[in-house]
Amino acid sequence: MREMINMVIVLTVLSAFSGGLLAAVKTGTKEQIEQQVLKFQKAPAIKQILSDVSNDPLQDRFKIMDNDQELTFFVGKHDGKPDSVIFETSGKGFSGDIGLMVGINIDSDEIIGVCVTTHSETPGLGSRAKDDPKFVSQFAGMKMDKNLDIKKNGGEIDIMSGATITSAGVSLAAKKAQEIYTRLKPEIEKQTAQMAN
Amino acid sequence: MGDYFVLAISCIFVNNILLAQFLGNCPFLGTSKKMETATGMAMAVVFVLVLAGIITWITDTYLLKPLDIEFLRTLSFILIIASLVQFVEMFLKKSIPALYAGLGIFLPLITTNCAVMGVCLININEEYTFMQSLVSSFTYAVGFGLALILFAGVRERTIIARVPKPLQDTSIGLVTAGMIALSFFAFKGMV
Amino acid sequence: MAQSMVKEFTKGLWAEIPPFRLVLGLCPVLAVTKSVENGIGMGIATTFVLVCSNLLVSLLRSVIPAKVRIAAYIIIIATFVTVVELVMQAYTYPLFLKLGIFIPLIVVNCIVLGRAEAFASKNSPVLSIADGLGMGIGFTLSLGALGAVRESLGNGTILGSPVFGPEFQPFTFMVEAPGAFVCLGLMLCLMNLIGKK
Repeated sequence: MREMINMVIVLTVLSAFSGGLLAAVKTGTKEQIEQQVLKFQKAPAIKQILSDVSNDPLQDRFKIMDNDQELTFFVGKHDGKPDSVIFETSGKGFSGDIGLMVGINIDSDEIIGVCVTTHSETPGLGSRAKDDPKFVSQFAGMKMDKNLDIKKNGGEIDIMSGATITSAGVSLAAKKAQEIYTRLKPEIEKQTAQMAN
Repeated sequence: MGDYFVLAISCIFVNNILLAQFLGNCPFLGTSKKMETATGMAMAVVFVLVLAGIITWITDTYLLKPLDIEFLRTLSFILIIASLVQFVEMFLKKSIPALYAGLGIFLPLITTNCAVMGVCLININEEYTFMQSLVSSFTYAVGFGLALILFAGVRERTIIARVPKPLQDTSIGLVTAGMIALSFFAFKGMV
Repeated sequence: MAQSMVKEFTKGLWAEIPPFRLVLGLCPVLAVTKSVENGIGMGIATTFVLVCSNLLVSLLRSVIPAKVRIAAYIIIIATFVTVVELVMQAYTYPLFLKLGIFIPLIVVNCIVLGRAEAFASKNSPVLSIADGLGMGIGFTLSLGALGAVRESLGNGTILGSPVFGPEFQPFTFMVEAPGAFVCLGLMLCLMNLIGKK
């Protein structure tokens, strides 16, 4: 009996120590990890979409609460004038979510470009969305009222052959971006106006 | 249905856990000298991996994610696997002694078999659904068994062959494994 | 004291160098040695876990009841592995992405549990640290060496800079899965040739 109690006590104390230590390390590294994700995962996508801006969109960013979700907007400036925003949405792919960065021009309400950030699609098929320029370039220049669904669902986007579900996932993410942008436009304009210098 | 078939083929052949993902190599080299032990190990892995895959998926989806304590994933998964192995061992000993006689000695080894832990982590990283996790756990384990048994067959031969002294045992084993991995390489690009 | 410390430390560097002499923990050895950088990064992470878990196991060796010792060791090891995971995510993010699933898998690396059980549970904290450090550095050197062979032959570079000149045709076989097995097997053979002491 005594041995039993001893065993339980030792394991409980160990687990408590472990949980406490990990929680502390987790809190200590949280901010740093966020920044690293920003720098290595989001930054390449943002640079690809906004290749000719005069500022650093990673620095000029603001957050808007959309229902219970926090969205981060990155602002691109041309000649010091903030005229474009980029934000991330997601759509359901073959296995798991596909993250999509969408850049939108505030003046013309046109999509500047999109870029896949994270996905876990079957290598060789769905993962082409990341490096198939023909597929993602279809989104460029689309207005907010265009139907960005794939053609099979009555929209205007050609799918990548052999990767219907992934194509639909990217489309869905882009459509979500249209909705969010249209809904939050007043707030976005207010925030970006403050960034003009 | 077709999607599950593709997943199964990918787990057994294309991304074979031993030969393409390098998980579970310690038992691969340790238990492959005899066909009998290889078969026993393969069976034990299929058994434990399917159970572990299901339990860790449920834990992650309904406990770790809602509570936002995903950083405890490594810790909880290894504890689940270790206690699961203990439990399976006790259960088999009492109720199915015949099966225990066959698998018993391999069970403790499975706790530190990274194939088990690895597949559980892959299921979560790839964000598989419950059914996908089930299929992937089972087929990864089948792939493990297949590679192990194939390898044991070749290895029984190398033991009676004349191998230069410095190459003997583990060394020739690894080179042989490389050749088998090369044959599995042919499956690349199939899915 | 100092003498035995040196002895415990140096045995990990040659006489019992993992994974060549002690054939344990092969999975990370085969999987992450596509390049020198990955190999050494993995080695350092493993060394940290080895030293910390050896120290704690040794300190607690009279407190932990024999029956639950493996469970206790696993909790200790898993805790330090998670610490490494978080720290790498925060400060070496690209390496963290490259090593991926193999960082949490340090937890099932047989070397770590093996040293806790075979050495740290029977020896003083100071000797245990020396043992962990020696084994860890030996492991790091092995991974670095294997990485150097595979990266130079398979990719024509070491640490990213070309070593054989522009004429060199890399044989990609070496950086793929089969090459890993063959290369490790041949290096093991070479170690056997040089002779066991």
